[in-house]
Amino acid sequence: MAQIAVAFLLLVAGVGEAAGPLRVNGSTTVNPVAADAADVLRTERHMTIQVDTQGGSSGGIAGIGDGSIDVGMSSKPVSADDRAKYPRVNFVATEIGRDAVALVVSADVWNGGVHALSRQQIAAIYEGRVTNWKEVGGPDRRIVFFNKEPGRGTWEVFARWLYGDPKNAPAVSHPEVGGNEEARTKVSSTRGAITQLSASWADEKAPALSIKLDDGRVVAPVAAEIVMGRYPMARPLFFVTNGPPRGDAKALIDYVLSPRGQELLRKHGYLRLADLRAKGEKVAAH
Amino acid sequence: MTAIVCTAAATSIVYLFAGSVAALRKEGLAFFTTSHWLYRREQFGAASMLFGSAVVAVLALLLATPVAIATAVFISEMAPQRLRVTLKVGVELLAGIPSVVYGLLGVLFLRDWIAALYDRIGVDALSADTLFTGGILLAVMVLPTIATLSEDALHSVPLAAREAARGLGLTRSETIAGVVVPRAAAGIIGAVLLGFGRAAGETIAVFLVVGRADNRPLRFGSIVDAGQTITSKLGGSETNIAVGDALHMSALMMLALVLLLFVLAATFAAEALRGRIAAETQ
Repeated sequence: MAQIAVAFLLLVAGVGEAAGPLRVNGSTTVNPVAADAADVLRTERHMTIQVDTQGGSSGGIAGIGDGSIDVGMSSKPVSADDRAKYPRVNFVATEIGRDAVALVVSADVWNGGVHALSRQQIAAIYEGRVTNWKEVGGPDRRIVFFNKEPGRGTWEVFARWLYGDPKNAPAVSHPEVGGNEEARTKVSSTRGAITQLSASWADEKAPALSIKLDDGRVVAPVAAEIVMGRYPMARPLFFVTNGPPRGDAKALIDYVLSPRGQELLRKHGYLRLADLRAKGEKVAAH
Repeated sequence: MTAIVCTAAATSIVYLFAGSVAALRKEGLAFFTTSHWLYRREQFGAASMLFGSAVVAVLALLLATPVAIATAVFISEMAPQRLRVTLKVGVELLAGIPSVVYGLLGVLFLRDWIAALYDRIGVDALSADTLFTGGILLAVMVLPTIATLSEDALHSVPLAAREAARGLGLTRSETIAGVVVPRAAAGIIGAVLLGFGRAAGETIAVFLVVGRADNRPLRFGSIVDAGQTITSKLGGSETNIAVGDALHMSALMMLALVLLLFVLAATFAAEALRGRIAAETQ
């Protein structure tokens, strides 16, 4: 709501300026970083920026595809399918940091003893073969799977981990959730609930499960494990533009890549590019 | 004005119909009769969405209409003049609240109340995101619309009719029940139909509380289960995914066409009824 109000005020304030606002849209995971960066650039450089989260990552990529926005926020890479849909668009994705997808549960499940699940158990829950928490060592309560809607970066990372390719994911009939706020609110207010959520959005009312790896190790979705590449559902976060970033879009992206901008990633619980480089990892280029 | 509206409606219908041809050719009647919406497998059976939209809209009207008509009768026939104006303005303000506000209130409060209600009456629902929840929220949203339009209909019944009834010795309640309400009936039905149009076309508030689960079975018990409506499907992420996929986009356009035709039919019927009463009272 605050963003809608801000966007409206900016629209009003922007009347009379020759150039339109810098239009940013997409992932609710990338949004807090972009919104904070936009606040700084508005005051320091008097830029006019609208930040919105319609449709998540796929909304950001589609917006760049049809030219309705200037910068797309995405928590998934631009796929070959996306490029094929918009053959005249030169998608350039700039990685700004990294995040992990966690499986978060409602407090009653956590307090009932479920703190970690294996890949096989998660697949069984997702496919509806396991429908009660007691089957995976938890309380006698039915499992409510709030599935991130297709097209969301979070869902694609999850589906890629379980099924190799999101296209191989089986058809399921779970209630769906959209942005991070909605997913967290619904899980924390529903007994027996689980959903896929950006790890940094987990809290005490929607705690993040660890993953039991095939070799028996248990890894939590925390920075140290993501940096070391041990947590399986890590993902890069991107700003997407049509062609190399120019003008205000470049100013925004450059700011987020600067040391001050990178601090915003840490503030919101994401990994900075420097954290990855420190471990000698090559930052993804797409 | 009418010409502009009709042209816009006709253009939309033609555009959506042209877009729907591919999906209709692929699915035929199965589009309306099967619950298999699996876009990755190119199956587009929308029955559970049609069911969901019908359930939430009908439920909303069943709950809202009696209260709305009672409110309208009170405002028009019973309240003193000063209170009448205040109430009328209040109801019209309620009718103007943006639907996202109702949706957020629904997420914040209504879901918890519904969860407590299900617990108390022993409904074994997985979560409070259900078609029933959507129907309740819509009832609250369409109530002011139906109330204020019904009040217009009641108020347009000529004073002479009331005076004649009272002169014949009818009590005030007999006058209301036997003269005023019957004479305003067409307008009240019109108000209810406009309420139906608003309920069926409402998107964001329903989107937030209805659960958005695809392909649930069409049976009575599904009312207290997560479901999908036409609008919650169209408001979701699939419209982004479908770009460049002709069949998928066509199926979504078909959904939009069905919704548009339903809402237009309800609106035209409502305006015709409301027009009739306006003509009668002149």
